[in-house]
Amino acid sequence: MGASITVEYVKKALPAGLGKWSLIGVVVGLGLAILALTMDPQRATFASLLGFMFVMSIAMGSLFFVALDHITGAVWSVPFRRVAELLSNTLFIAPILAAPILYNIFLEMGGHGMFDMYHWTHDEVVAADPFLSQKAPYLNESSFLFRYVLIWVLMVVFRFILVGNSFKQDKNFNHKLNKTNAAFSALFMIVFAISITITAIDFLMSLEPHWFSTIFGVYYFAGTFATVIAMITIISVNFNERGIMIEGINKDHYYSLGGWMFAFTTFWMYMAFSQFMLIWYANIPEETFWFMPRMEGGWAIASIALIFIKFIIPFGLSIQKPSKSNPRRLKLLALWIMGAHIYDMWWLSYPTYSHLTDSHGPVFGWQEIGFIILAVSLVLFIFNMTAKNKNIVPIGDAKMERALNFHL
Amino acid sequence: MNNEKLYALTALFDTPDGIMKAADAISGQYSRFDVNTPYPVHGMDDAMKLTPSRIGYFTISIGLACMSLMLYFIFWTNNVDYPQIIGGKPFFAFPTYVPIMFEITILTGAVLSVAMMISVLFRFPNNAHPLHDSGYMKAVSSDKYGIYIEAKDSNFDYAKVESLYKELGAIEISPVYYDEEELNWTPQTWDPKFVIGTLGIAAFTSFSVYMHMNKVLFLPPFNWMMEQPRADYGEESEFFADTYSMRVAPAGTIARGFMPYTYDNPDSAAKYLSNPTVPTEENLKLGQRKFTSYCSPCHGNLAEGASRLRGQMPPGPDLRAEMYQNFEDGRFYHTITKGKGIMSGYEAQITREERWAIVNYIRTLQKAYGVPAPKEETEAVAENMDNNTEASN
Amino acid sequence: MHTESKDFDNDLRLEPPIVEGSRSLKEIDDAIIAPLNRIPNIKFWIALGFTLTLLMTGAVALGLSFYYGTGLWGNNNPVGWAFPIVNFVFWVGIGHAGTLISAILFLLRQRWRNGIARFAEAMTIFAVITALIFPLIHTGRPWVAAVYLLPYPNQHSLWVNFTSPLLWDVFAVSTYFTVSFVFWYVGLIPDFAVLRDRATGKIKKLIYSLFSLGWRFSNRHWKHYEMMYLILAGMATPLVLSVHTIVSFDFAVSILPGWHTTIFPPYFVAGAIFSGFAMVQNSLIVIRKIFDMEDLIPMRTLELMNKIILLTGMMVGYAYSMEFFIAWYSGNQPETFTFVNRAFGPYWWAYWIMFSCNVFIPQLFWFKKIRRNLFVMFIIAALVNVGMWFERFVITVTSLSRDFLPSSWAYFTPTITDFAILIGSFGLFFTLVLLFVRVLPAVSIAEIKAVTSKGQPSHAHIHISNGKSNEAH
Repeated sequence: MGASITVEYVKKALPAGLGKWSLIGVVVGLGLAILALTMDPQRATFASLLGFMFVMSIAMGSLFFVALDHITGAVWSVPFRRVAELLSNTLFIAPILAAPILYNIFLEMGGHGMFDMYHWTHDEVVAADPFLSQKAPYLNESSFLFRYVLIWVLMVVFRFILVGNSFKQDKNFNHKLNKTNAAFSALFMIVFAISITITAIDFLMSLEPHWFSTIFGVYYFAGTFATVIAMITIISVNFNERGIMIEGINKDHYYSLGGWMFAFTTFWMYMAFSQFMLIWYANIPEETFWFMPRMEGGWAIASIALIFIKFIIPFGLSIQKPSKSNPRRLKLLALWIMGAHIYDMWWLSYPTYSHLTDSHGPVFGWQEIGFIILAVSLVLFIFNMTAKNKNIVPIGDAKMERALNFHL
Repeated sequence: MNNEKLYALTALFDTPDGIMKAADAISGQYSRFDVNTPYPVHGMDDAMKLTPSRIGYFTISIGLACMSLMLYFIFWTNNVDYPQIIGGKPFFAFPTYVPIMFEITILTGAVLSVAMMISVLFRFPNNAHPLHDSGYMKAVSSDKYGIYIEAKDSNFDYAKVESLYKELGAIEISPVYYDEEELNWTPQTWDPKFVIGTLGIAAFTSFSVYMHMNKVLFLPPFNWMMEQPRADYGEESEFFADTYSMRVAPAGTIARGFMPYTYDNPDSAAKYLSNPTVPTEENLKLGQRKFTSYCSPCHGNLAEGASRLRGQMPPGPDLRAEMYQNFEDGRFYHTITKGKGIMSGYEAQITREERWAIVNYIRTLQKAYGVPAPKEETEAVAENMDNNTEASN
Repeated sequence: MHTESKDFDNDLRLEPPIVEGSRSLKEIDDAIIAPLNRIPNIKFWIALGFTLTLLMTGAVALGLSFYYGTGLWGNNNPVGWAFPIVNFVFWVGIGHAGTLISAILFLLRQRWRNGIARFAEAMTIFAVITALIFPLIHTGRPWVAAVYLLPYPNQHSLWVNFTSPLLWDVFAVSTYFTVSFVFWYVGLIPDFAVLRDRATGKIKKLIYSLFSLGWRFSNRHWKHYEMMYLILAGMATPLVLSVHTIVSFDFAVSILPGWHTTIFPPYFVAGAIFSGFAMVQNSLIVIRKIFDMEDLIPMRTLELMNKIILLTGMMVGYAYSMEFFIAWYSGNQPETFTFVNRAFGPYWWAYWIMFSCNVFIPQLFWFKKIRRNLFVMFIIAALVNVGMWFERFVITVTSLSRDFLPSSWAYFTPTITDFAILIGSFGLFFTLVLLFVRVLPAVSIAEIKAVTSKGQPSHAHIHISNGKSNEAH
C-alpha cells in the first residue's frame, strides 16, 4: 500500500479584508440605493431587480449545489460544500433587494403604484386586455407576493434541514445524516425546479406579460448554476491559497470546479440559442416582439456583446485542459462569469425599462452599479458573518476523507 | 539467435507500482525506451517524463477551419450561386446555419484528429514492429506491465541493462530481436499481391468514379443522354399493333388555346359567325394580297370570275353579282374555310385573320363594282395586274 | 462474489469498488473473450432467430412499401408525418443513452460506467443505424432520398435547403453516427490487440491484426490515446445534446401549437436519455445473465442507472408541466386547445399511456427494493420505452390531426405495414446487438482492467486526524 499522509483541520480566521470590504460595500451600496430610490424610484427598482436576481441565483443555486452533492454522492464537491451552505444564508438578505419591487407591487394592490414596472399590475390595463385578464389568476399582485413568500419559506425550510444536518455532523460525526440529507435533497430538487422556474417567470418574464417561453426557467437555471459555482470557486480558491480550507485539496478538485463552469457556460449558450432561434425561425409576431427591441439600435450591440461576454470569452478562457485547474485562471473565470450573469439579467430586464421610459437605447449608470455593489456585498457580508463560527469545510461529513483522496 | 539483430531488452513487472518505479528510474538514464501496459496507468506520463499531448490544439484548429469552410460554402450556395427566398428568411439566414456549422466542427475535428493521431502520431497501421508476436507483447496485452530499452540507445549495454532490471524487481527479462525476414525484405516490382491490389483498386476506383459521374453528377457523356429508351420518329414500335411510333392524335384533340371551327354548313356560319375584324387599310391590303394569291386564279383579280386556269378547272363565279352581295360575311368565310362544290377548303392554307381580310377585300371589290376609277390608277393597276405573275405575299 | 460484507450503500465513508469480486487481469480477459471463442448456446440461436424474424417482417413490409408506394401506410392529410418520423425520433433518442454512458459519465469520472460503456456505445451505433433507415425510406423512394439529401455540385445549381431542420438532421445524425463509430472504434483498438495476441486461427489473427492497426500498448501511444479519448468524449457530449436538439427543431421551428415551444430542445434531450437508459437497462439485464457478467456489471451499476431513469423521467415531467402551464399562460387559444385535446381528445388513450409510463411508473424507483429487483426494473424499463414511443406519437399525431382549421381535422389510423416496419426496426436493432455480443468483446477490456482494485499505483492516502476539532473559534 502507499504511504499515508495525515492532515489536520485547523479552524483559521477568515481574511480580515472580507469582513471589512463587504461592510464598506454594503454601506456604499445602501447609500447609492437609497439615493437612487429617492431620485428615480422606477429606475432604482429596475436596478434592484438586477441585484435581486443575482442574490436569488446565489441563494437558491447554493442550496442546489448542496443537494446535488448529497443526491449524487459526489466526492469532489465535499470540501466546497460548506462554502455553498454558508452562501445559502443569502436567502436571509434576499428580501432586502426584493423590497423595492415587492413594495411597489403591494402598492399596486390598492391601485396606487408609484411607477410603471409590471404592466399586469395595472387593473385598467388588465381589464382592457383579454390576454392579461385571462392570465390574471396567475399574474396578480396577491398571488405574486404569495408565491414569493412561499418559495422563500420553502427554501429556508430546506436550508435549515440540509445545512442544519451538515452543521450537526460537524459535532457528532453521524455518518447516517448523509443518507438523511440525500433523501431530503431529492425532495428539494423537485421544489427547486418549480421555485426557480416561478421566480424567473414572475420577476423577469412577466416584465413583458404578453410574452412566454417554456424554456425560460431552464435558461435562468443555467446562468444560476454557473454563477453559484463561480462564487464557490472564487471563495474556495482564495481561501485555499491562504490555507484556510484544508490540506489535501488538489488540482483535480479545482479541475472539477473549472469543468462545471465551462459546462454551464456552454449549456447557457445552448439555452439562449434554442430560445432565440426557434422564435426567430417561426417569426410569429406574438413571440418575436420580445426580441425586436433587443435587436435595434444600442440594444443590438448589447445583444451581440452578450454572446461574447457570456459565452465566447469564458469558453475561450476555460476550454484548455490546464486552464481549468489553474487557480489564477479559475478566479478570473469565476469573476467573469458572475459579471456576465449580471449582464444577462440586465439584458433581460432593461429593454422593458427603455420601452417604458422611451429612452432610446440601453441605460446603465450609477444606480445599477449601486445596487450591484449592494447585492454582492450583502452576499459576502452575510457569508462572513455566518462563517465566523463555523468550520469552513464539512469536517464531519462521511465522505470528507474520501474527498481528499479524490483523483481524476 | 546469435547472428540476429537485437531490437531491445524487455522486462516485465506484475504490479503498477513496480512499473512506475522502473519507469522513473529508467527515464533518467535512457531516452530510447518505452513502457507497455494493458491499460493506461495513472502517473506514467510523469514517470516517463513525457510532455502532455497537444492533440487538442489540432482538433480545435481543424474543426474551426472546416467550420469556416462550411459557412463559406453555405453562404456561396445560398447567397451567390442560387439565392432563394425560403420561408421569408433573409438570404444570409445565419441562425439557421449555426446547427450545421456546429456539427461540421465536431465531425471534422473528431474524425481528422483521430486520423492524424493514428497515421502521424502512432504511424499506424504497423503490424511489422519487432515487438509483435513476442512473448513480451502477449504478456503486456494481458496482465503484465512491461518496459524495454532499445538497443539503439546510446547508453545501451546489455549486461548493465539486465542488471538494472533485476535491481528494479523485474519478474521476467527477455530480449527481442528483429525479424530476419522483415529486415531482409526488399520490394519486388511484380509482387503478385501488389499487382492484384493495384488492379483491384484501379477497378474499384474506376467503377466508383463512373457511378458517381453517371448517377450523381449526371455528367455527359457519362449520363448517356444520347441513348434514351424513347420512341423516335420512324422507329418501328413494338407497342402499337400498326408498328408506327408516330401516332395520330385521337379524335377531338385540339391544340391548347385553339377554338375549333364548329360550323358544318354555310347557313349556320352565315347566321352565327360574325366578322371580328375591322376593314382597316392594313387589313384590306392583307386581304388584297391573299385574295390575289389564292382566289384570283379562279375568281379573277377583281373577283369578276375571270379564270386564268385555261379550262383546267371551271371558272369561279363572279363575286360581285347581286347574289353574292347579299351573302353574309360568315357565309363567305365558311366557303373559304370549307370549300364549296369543286372549290376546296382553304382552312389549311389561309389563317383565320387572313380569311376575314379576304372577305373584307371582296366587300371592297363589290362596292367598287360599277364605280369608275380614276384613269391613271386604272391603267397602272391594269398594267400591274397583267405583269403580275409572281405570288404577292 | 463479495469479499467483505461492507455496507457500501449506507456507509458513505467507504469507497465502493467498481468491479466486484477479485478477478485477476487474466481472469477478466478470459471472462470477456470466452463468449467470442465458443459456439453460442441454444438460447443465443433462439434469440437470434426471433430477432431475425422481426427483421424480415420489417424488410417485407418495406419492400411492399417501395413497390406499392406509401399509400400502404396510414399517413393522410393532415397527418403527413406519422410512424416514420416517430420511429426515427424514438431510435435516435435511444442512441443517446449510449453516448451519455460512454462520454458524459466518462467526463464526470464515474468509473462505474466502464463495465457498460462498450455495450452502450455499440447500442448507440445500432440505434442510429436503425434510426437512419427512416429518413431514407420515409419518402417511399429511398433511391432518390439518399442523393437529394447531400449538397453535391450539379448542373442545375440545385442545392439542399440549408435553412431546413430536416437537413440539419442529416448533418447531425450523420455526424453522430460517424463520431460515435470513431469513438467506439478507438476504444476497440486495444481490445483488438488483446484478441490478436490471444488468437489461435490464422484468419482470426489476420483480421484482428488488421483492425488493431498494430497497437502495442505503448505508453507513448496511451498518452495521446487518452487525450484523444477525452477530447472525443468532450465533443460527443455537446454532440449528443445537439443531435436531439436538432431533431426537436424539426418540430419546434414550425408554428404548430404543441410543436412550437422553446423547451423542446432540452425536453427532447432529457427524454432521449430517459428512453435510451431504459433500453440499455433492458438489454444489460439480459446480457449479463446470459454471459455471466454479474460482477463486471454489478447491481450497483443497475441501481445507478435506475436513479438516472428516475431523474430524467422527472425532467420530462417538468417539461410536460411547463408546456401545459405556458399553454394556459400564453392565452393562445389553439395552444390551449391542443393540450386539452391531447388529454381528452380522440387520442386520449395514447396520452394517458404516455403519461403513466413516463411520469407515474418511474416514481416506483424511489423505493430501494424496487431499484434492486431485476424483474421489476426490467418491466419498468420496458414500460418507459413504450411510454417514450407514445410521447413522440402524441406530439406528432395529435398536433397534426387537429390544428388550426377544424375542417382539416382528420383521424390517423396506423396500418399493419406501419406496425410491421416498427417491429422490423426492433428486429434490426436486436439482431445487431446479438451479433455484436457474439463477435466483439462486450465489455471494454482495457477500461475494466484499469478500474480493478489493484489496477492503479497506490496514492499516498490522506487521513484526517482531528475530525473532532470543531469548536467555535
